[in-house]
Amino acid sequence: MSPTRRTLLLAAAVAPGGFATAAAAAPRSDVAVLERLLRLERRLEAAYGAAARRGVLDDGLAISLRDQEREHARGLEQALADHGLAEPGVPRPDPRLDGALRGRTAFGRYALALEGRLVRAYVDAEAGLRDTRLLRPLGAIMASDAQHAVAVRQSLGEPLL
Amino acid sequence: MHPVPGPITRRGAVGGAAVLLASCGSDDPRPPTGARAGSGAGLLNSLLALEHTAVAAYGAGARLLRGQALRYARQIEERERGHVRRLEQLIRGLGGTAARSRTPDEYARSFPRLRNGDDALRFAEDLEERLVRAYLQALPKLPEPELRRAAAEICADEGAHLAALHVMRGRPAAPQPFVTGTL
Repeated sequence: MSPTRRTLLLAAAVAPGGFATAAAAAPRSDVAVLERLLRLERRLEAAYGAAARRGVLDDGLAISLRDQEREHARGLEQALADHGLAEPGVPRPDPRLDGALRGRTAFGRYALALEGRLVRAYVDAEAGLRDTRLLRPLGAIMASDAQHAVAVRQSLGEPLL
Repeated sequence: MHPVPGPITRRGAVGGAAVLLASCGSDDPRPPTGARAGSGAGLLNSLLALEHTAVAAYGAGARLLRGQALRYARQIEERERGHVRRLEQLIRGLGGTAARSRTPDEYARSFPRLRNGDDALRFAEDLEERLVRAYLQALPKLPEPELRRAAAEICADEGAHLAALHVMRGRPAAPQPFVTGTL
């Protein structure tokens, strides 16, 4: 099964109609929220990919988290595409990433900060989105990103919670 | 009616949690909330009943746990108590009356029989899955942004608890990209 098809099926499992139905009627302000979430998801996807290449996070974990962020991003892209925004811009590289790739601790700190920021962004979205059909699928991604933080803390040997 | 205690299996844990959580929503007397219809107080009270159950479950499971697992179970129990306090505050703010917990004995009678630490952790996982599901289902129904914000923050917490329980059971913390919980 292709990743895109799997993404859509998973999204559909979260809420009737999944992202596609939900986003079809998303108001403009909701689009800005979705775009912000997508930028953060893509930033984390790039970070975990770079961490895997540089060996600053356990290889299997880095790849797994990268792939999950990619799934999140695809879900958000699908929501945006169904709202008529088929090609959201390529996010700018994060200038802090190079410094974070110097070592395991630096990267872990960077990833934790970004995952925390992402979870807070989803919480803001849950409070502020006008299209309530987006809330369940986005909540399922938010809970996943909260789990990523636990996984990164475990890799750092820090308390899980 | 309470389930007959027996050895815990995956199905047993899920079934036990299902019976238990269903009872939280239907058998418990609905408190006289006093809040206006559609305020979200009733929905928050349903979530509160689940949180009370989770607190009781961690309390019951703690006697079977040791070391790191016990420390995390205690920590999660305390975080669930924090969720209880937050939900109670929100319900009162809406003019409602918060659902009260049952006694530990009443909860214990409806739990599956927990024979060892792994049983306790599996039961806790099932409860956390159900909590995640309940919050996800509640989010679109809560009418006010600040109620949704609180529910979302707690839902993220429950996702993290689930990840910690996965680790305690020797599994990856974050095994899937969409954490939907179970029915």
